Amino acid sequence: MNTTVSAAGLTVRYGGTPALDGVDLSLTDGVTGLLGPNGAGKTTLLKVLATAVPPDGGAFTVYGVDPATPAGRLAVRRMLGYLPQTPGFHPDFTAFEFVDYVAVLKELTGRGDRHREVRRVLDQVGLADVRGRRIKRLSGGMRQRVALAAALVGDPRFLVLDEPTVGLDPEQRMRFRELIAEAGEGRTVVLSTHQTEDVAMLCNRVIVLADGRVRFDGTPAGLTARAAGHVWSSTERAPGARAGWRTGTGTFRNVGDPPTGADLLEPTLEDGYLLVLDEKPTEGTEVTAA
Amino acid sequence: MTTVGVAEPETPGRADHERERDPATASVFALAAFQARQLLLQIPVLVFGLLYLAYVGYGLFRRDEGMDAYPVLHDVDRSTQGGAELFAVALLVCAHRAALLDRRRGLEEQFGVLAMPPARRTLAHALSVVPCALGVALVVCLQFAWAALRPGAAGHGSVFELAVAPLAALLAGAVGVLLARVLPHPAAPLFLLLATGLVTSLLSDGLGTGGVDWLWPAVLENGGTPVPGELLGRPAGWHALYLLGFTVLAVCVAMWVAGSRARVLKAATAVALAAAVAGVAGQAPGDSAALQAARKAEADHPAKFQTCVERAGSRYCAYPDWTGWTVDWAGVVHRVRSEAGGDAATTRLTVRQRIEEITDLTTDATLPTSSAPGTVTVGTQWGGNRVPEFAVGVARVLVAGSEQASQEMCDARVVTTMWLALATDPTPAATFRHLRIDDSLTGSAAVLTPDGGSMSVSAHQTQVVRELLREPHDAVTARVKSHWQQLVSPHTTTADAARLLGVKVPKGPDDCPAG
Repeated sequence: MNTTVSAAGLTVRYGGTPALDGVDLSLTDGVTGLLGPNGAGKTTLLKVLATAVPPDGGAFTVYGVDPATPAGRLAVRRMLGYLPQTPGFHPDFTAFEFVDYVAVLKELTGRGDRHREVRRVLDQVGLADVRGRRIKRLSGGMRQRVALAAALVGDPRFLVLDEPTVGLDPEQRMRFRELIAEAGEGRTVVLSTHQTEDVAMLCNRVIVLADGRVRFDGTPAGLTARAAGHVWSSTERAPGARAGWRTGTGTFRNVGDPPTGADLLEPTLEDGYLLVLDEKPTEGTEVTAA
Repeated sequence: MTTVGVAEPETPGRADHERERDPATASVFALAAFQARQLLLQIPVLVFGLLYLAYVGYGLFRRDEGMDAYPVLHDVDRSTQGGAELFAVALLVCAHRAALLDRRRGLEEQFGVLAMPPARRTLAHALSVVPCALGVALVVCLQFAWAALRPGAAGHGSVFELAVAPLAALLAGAVGVLLARVLPHPAAPLFLLLATGLVTSLLSDGLGTGGVDWLWPAVLENGGTPVPGELLGRPAGWHALYLLGFTVLAVCVAMWVAGSRARVLKAATAVALAAAVAGVAGQAPGDSAALQAARKAEADHPAKFQTCVERAGSRYCAYPDWTGWTVDWAGVVHRVRSEAGGDAATTRLTVRQRIEEITDLTTDATLPTSSAPGTVTVGTQWGGNRVPEFAVGVARVLVAGSEQASQEMCDARVVTTMWLALATDPTPAATFRHLRIDDSLTGSAAVLTPDGGSMSVSAHQTQVVRELLREPHDAVTARVKSHWQQLVSPHTTTADAARLLGVKVPKGPDDCPAG
């Protein structure tokens, strides 16, 4: 698969604290999940990729365009759809007006074509019936879909979504997953999330970020496979386990280095994620590729 | 940096024609159109826009038979500047609010990564006021056309005066957007208006109002009597240049603050600054010596500047802007003279239009009466009460011989004068009331004359005139003509006039005995 977004040595510091510390990336079409604990640098990385924050060091390209120059930045922005962690709205605008406004700011200038495109994305996110309703009268889930529609309008090649499923109920989250999976066809989508289920269901690729560094870069199956032989069941919490919790059956599910003869369980992506986070990175070779 | 196997897929979803168009320029207009629609839905813009339309509509459609029926177009043009100020303030406030909206909603970062940069958004916000300004221009054109198409319209308007109201709307929008960039606070327009009022007040105290009036968008200078267009001395062109330059300058500075450093912006800023400074300098000097000399010359020696026409044995002399009114003047002269007897029925009159020497356009002084025999003064306003006032002016010259001689009248001649003026009026009693300064129909009063002065009518004279107006018109006319010599004699008292004309003689001492 061709590389669409490529980054090398991306560094961002807030004061003296590194939020990103030499991040290298090479993305392709499809949905890439970005996992990491709070403060890992996920949002900062997405802001850099969305050209909202310039990196202090390193560089990146989007479809071969370097956003370091004003012209390059404009070119990248012209192929970008960005859904921030906490999207804002004009509450007095209707859903249609808001997405139309974003479309104008995305330089969709022909009124007729633009309105068709706005209707298309509102239909895509399932808001066709409420497009004339003011945003202040929409539910939280509907607002999130308006924000996604705003990101999707203009059919951008590169979609940056920062925790789009936060605060959604399970049904809404499922609906969102469908939308994002659909959006990932034929374009590059980077999706930041705390939900490993989102990654497992949506992503053809996952990157784990911790302390501003990439800890894992590979497929969800690869991340899951990292936990193979490291998850076991016990009647009591295993003292050597890196993580362990009582399950609904009353037994404990442990993640770590199992004792000899342990009752090994089928690992999940979450198990792999926990293990990767718990690994002490070795300088220069911390990224695990799968 | 080097990338391997970089994908270059087609941009989906965008029509080819859209990509061929310059998105930078087209998007400015698209956003301006979007914001214009939003602006038109703002309550202050709607309310003050409707109030503005109501104000103008009232002026256009009120059933007024007064002097508005004979508009002077070089006064009408600047009157269009009135009424739009509050609408402009609403535009300032709403343009400011619209330009701040993304910031107020915390959308700056979210929208900061969209293709259109802040400077072009700023330009679009400024342009979003253009439809409102065009609306004001349309209203102004309608106001002016309405006046210009009236049969009695005189004079010529100035396109620069007509441009002020639309330019003020544009300026208000530009200042609102500039404020949003330099002072991003919701109350900034209020601060600006208060500060502007304070500074203007302080400057007015220091320099006099003339020093700062022209820095405001609209400069009406109302209240004066119309004068020929060449005597106005209003630097309308410079003022329009000042407004235009200031508007463009405000937009350029706002774009500069928003981050643009384009060469074309620098050039536009320089040109706009030069235009604004030139406009201020051009409108600053006040009345030139040549203008003052011209005002004096045209007031003192009107004949040198007027065109005269002969109509039915009388001569009518008007400044070039007013020659169209001589037909109406001649109609009044004919009507008044038809009621007169003796030589007055055929006396050759000269109707001379006169103006006072003005120092500014708010001057409304009284003209000195003419001593020339057979000369009747007429002013630069017509219609409404000016018509019977002129009739009084014609009648008093027919009765007394000259305007100056008529000032001595305090006898039967006053009755004769008022009868001649009112006899053929369609509503003589109402007109008599309107002619009197206190709008009374009893007692003594001053009756207005076309030179801006007045003629005294005593209580007895008022009573006799009212009695005459109750009598059959033709009978009174016949008596007036048959007793003409006595009725125009300074030795005939008011009581004598009543007897001669066959109406009730007022009781009590005559408060204006014959001299």
